[in-house]
Amino acid sequence: MQFYLFGDLIVLPTDVIAAWVSVIIGAPLVLYWFTKKRYWPVVWDFATSTNHRKIGMLYIIFALLFFFRAGIDALFIRMQLVTAENEFWVFQGDKYNEIFTTHGTMMIFFVAMPLLIGLMNVAVPLQIGANDLAFPFLNAIGFYLFLTGGMIFFAAFFFNAAPNAGWTAYAPLSTYEFTSGPNNNYYIFGLQVSGLGTIFAAINMIVTILRLRAPGLKLTRMPLFPWASLITSFLILVAFPVLAIALLLLQFDRFYGATFFIGEMGHPVYWQHLFWIFGHPEVYILALPAFGIFSDIISNFSRKNVFGYTSMVIALALIGLLGFMVWAHHMFTVGLGPFANTFFAITTMMIAVPTGIKVFNWLFTMRRGVIRLQTPMLFALGFIPTFVMGGVTGVMLASAAADMQYHDTYFVVAHFHYVIIGSTVLGAFAGLYYWYPKMTGKVLDDKLGKWHFWLFLIGFHLTFFPQHLAGLNGMPRRVYDYTWEDGVFVYNFISTIGAFLMGASMLFVLWNIYKTHRTKEENVGPDPWDGRTLEWSVPSPVPEHPFEKMPVIDRRDALWWAKQEGRSLPVADHPRASPIAVRTVQPLVLSAALTILSFGFIYGWVWMQILGGAASLGFFLLRAFNDERTEAYRKEEQDDE
Amino acid sequence: MNSKTMSKDLFGDKRMGFFIYLFVEAVMFATLFATYLIYTPAPQGPHPSEVFEVKTVVLASIFLLLSSGTLMIAEKGLDRRNIKMILTGLLITFTFGAIFMYFEVHEFYTFVTEGHTISTNNFLSSFYVLVGLHASHVLFGLFWMIVLLIQRKLLPYNLFKEKHKIFNYYWHFVDIIWVGILIIVYIPYLI
Repeated sequence: MQFYLFGDLIVLPTDVIAAWVSVIIGAPLVLYWFTKKRYWPVVWDFATSTNHRKIGMLYIIFALLFFFRAGIDALFIRMQLVTAENEFWVFQGDKYNEIFTTHGTMMIFFVAMPLLIGLMNVAVPLQIGANDLAFPFLNAIGFYLFLTGGMIFFAAFFFNAAPNAGWTAYAPLSTYEFTSGPNNNYYIFGLQVSGLGTIFAAINMIVTILRLRAPGLKLTRMPLFPWASLITSFLILVAFPVLAIALLLLQFDRFYGATFFIGEMGHPVYWQHLFWIFGHPEVYILALPAFGIFSDIISNFSRKNVFGYTSMVIALALIGLLGFMVWAHHMFTVGLGPFANTFFAITTMMIAVPTGIKVFNWLFTMRRGVIRLQTPMLFALGFIPTFVMGGVTGVMLASAAADMQYHDTYFVVAHFHYVIIGSTVLGAFAGLYYWYPKMTGKVLDDKLGKWHFWLFLIGFHLTFFPQHLAGLNGMPRRVYDYTWEDGVFVYNFISTIGAFLMGASMLFVLWNIYKTHRTKEENVGPDPWDGRTLEWSVPSPVPEHPFEKMPVIDRRDALWWAKQEGRSLPVADHPRASPIAVRTVQPLVLSAALTILSFGFIYGWVWMQILGGAASLGFFLLRAFNDERTEAYRKEEQDDE
Repeated sequence: MNSKTMSKDLFGDKRMGFFIYLFVEAVMFATLFATYLIYTPAPQGPHPSEVFEVKTVVLASIFLLLSSGTLMIAEKGLDRRNIKMILTGLLITFTFGAIFMYFEVHEFYTFVTEGHTISTNNFLSSFYVLVGLHASHVLFGLFWMIVLLIQRKLLPYNLFKEKHKIFNYYWHFVDIIWVGILIIVYIPYLI
C-alpha cells in the first residue's frame, strides 16, 4: 500500500497495516475489559512488586504473549511453504527473511529463556527454603530489562523494520553495507537490553542457591531443578557477556565505521566464533533447566526418588562444561581445517554420553514406580523419545564430513526443533502445569491439559519429522520458495498441517486458563500432587515470606519422608536474615530510560541518545538514594546500641 | 528474623553477587582483549608503536595504580569508623582517578587530531572499544565516589560501609583491568 504523507511517499506492506489495525482495535478492548473487571489494582500490584512469585508469573505471562506472536510468525512461514511456487500474502523475499528472523530470535530470547527464568523464579526459592531471591530489587530490574528488550524487538515489526539477517545475524549480511535500514539495530538493542537482564537473573539465582538454602539442605540434598538452575546460571555468566561484546562490536561496525566483521581487515568468521561461543552454551542454557524440571516431575509422578542422583548432577555439570567446547560444530563448512573439525566433532559426540546417562536415569526412576499419568507427567513422557530423536540427529550432524551435506538444510531445522521444543518447550509446559497451583492456588484442568499435550505432540512430530526428509532431499533453510521438481512438496505440506495442529493445541491452553479461573473453586491446598520437595510444604498460592518457620532438612526429599512418617519438618531456631522486599516503580523508570536510549541508537538520533543516557544514569542516582535496606539497617543499629 | 546478623548476612549476599558481576565484566574485557590481539597490528594503517606515546601511558598508569593504594586509606578508615580517613582516602582517590581521566581524554584527543580515528584501521577500532570501555568504567567510578560522599551523610553507617566496600571492589577491579591493558595493549609496542 502506498500513500502520500506531508509530501513523502510512504510504502506500507499490508501485514504491517493489519498489525496496526488489530492493535488499534484490540488495545481499547483490552483496556476496557481490565477497567470493567477492576484489574488495574492487580496489574499495579504485580508491576511494582519484587516478590519472586509475582515476577516469575510476569516472566511467564509475557513469554506466553511472545510465544503467540512468534508462533503466528511460524504459521506464516508454513503458509508460504505449503506448496511449491507459492505466494502467500507478502511473505516472499525480504519479508520472508524478516519473518524467520523474528520467529527464531523471539522464540529463543523472549520465549524460551523467560519461560525458564520465570519457572526458576517461582520454584527455586521454594524448593530450597528461601523466602525470596537474594536480591528482590535486582530481580525486578532483570524482569523489566527482559520486557524492555522484548518490546523493543517486538516493536520493530510495527515500524516495518523487523530484523532480517537471521537469528544468528551473520556478518557481513548484518553490517551496514548489506542491511542499512534500522532493522538489525532493533536486533542489537533488543538483545543487548534483555541480555543484561538475563545476566542479572543468573547472578541472583546463583547467590540464592549458594547462600539462602534452608539449614541442613546441603547441595547434595538439593532437588535437581535448583541444581540445573545453578549450572545454567554459570553458563549464562560466561555466554551472555560474549554476546554483549559481539553486539557492541557489531554496533561499532554499523554506526561508527569500524570494520571488525567486514572489509579487507575484518573477519566475518570472527562474528561466527563470538556468536557461537555464546550460542552453543545458550542451547544448554535452554535445555538444562528443562532437564531439572523433568527430573523433579518424573520422580514425583512415579512416587520414587530420582535414580542415580549423583550421576544426574555430574551429567548436568559435564554437559555444561562440554557445552563450551563445541561451538565450532556450527561452522564445519567454514573451512577451519581438519584438526579443528575433528576436535569439535569429537567433543560434540561426547555430549551424547552425559545426556544418555540422564535419559537412562529417567527411565530407571520410572521403573517399578507408581506412575500417575497426569498432564505434567505426560509432557515428561513425551519429552524422552522426542529428545532422543533430536539427540540422534545431533550425533549425525556432529560428524563433520557428513555435515557438509546437512549444513543449512531443513535437516538442521528439524534437528534443533526436536531438541529445543523437545526439551525446553515441553519442559516449560510441564513446569507450568506442575507449578500452576503454587502460582495461583488452582490446578489446571487435566482433561484439557491432555488435549493440549496430545495435539501439541502429534502436531510437533507431523511438523518436524518430514523436515528431516526435506532436508536430506536438499531443501535449504531460509529460502521462501521451491519448485515442484524439487520433490519436497509432500514433506512441506504435511509440515504445514502439523504446524496448525500445534497452533490449535495452544488454544487449549488459553481455554484451560480461562476455564480454571472462571469458576470460583476451592483452593487446592499446599500439596495437590503429593509432592516430595519443599515447595509443597507451603500454602498455594505462595504468600510472601512463606518460610517464617524455617524447616530443617535432614535428607533428600525430606518433605516426602516426613509425610511418610507422619511428622512435620523440624523448625530452625535462628535462621539467617531474609532478603528485604520493597514496592517500587524504579524499574519502570529504568525501562523508560533504556527504551529512549535504544530508540535513539536505532534511528541514530543523537539528542535522544543523550537524553536516554542521562535518564539511565539518573536511574542510578534514584536508586542510590532510595535503598529499601536503609530502614532495616537503621533499626538494627538502634537495637545494637 | 534474627536482626543481630541481618546486615552481615545481607552484605555477604551482596558481596558474592557483586563478585559474580565482576566476573561477568571480566569475561567482557577478556573478549575485547581477544579482539585486540586478533586485529593488532593491522595489515594496513598505522602500527601501534607509531601511535602510542610513552609519557601519557606512564603518567596515566601511575595515577590510576596509586589510586588503588590511596583507596586503602579509606578502607582502613571504614573498619575503624574513622570519618577523616574515609574522606581523605576517597578524595585523594577521586583526584587521582580524575587525573587519569585527563590523560585518557588527552590521549584520545591527540590520536584523533593526528588522524588516528576509530575507522582508520582495525587495531585502532579494537583499541578504542577496549580502552574506551575501561575509561567509561573509571568515569562511572568517579561519579560513584561523589554519590558515596553524599550517601555518607544520609545512610546508617553499616549500609554506607557496605556500599563503600562494594565500590572498593569495583575500583580495584577496574585497576586490574588497566594492568591487563598495559600488558596486552601498550607494553608489547612500547618496548
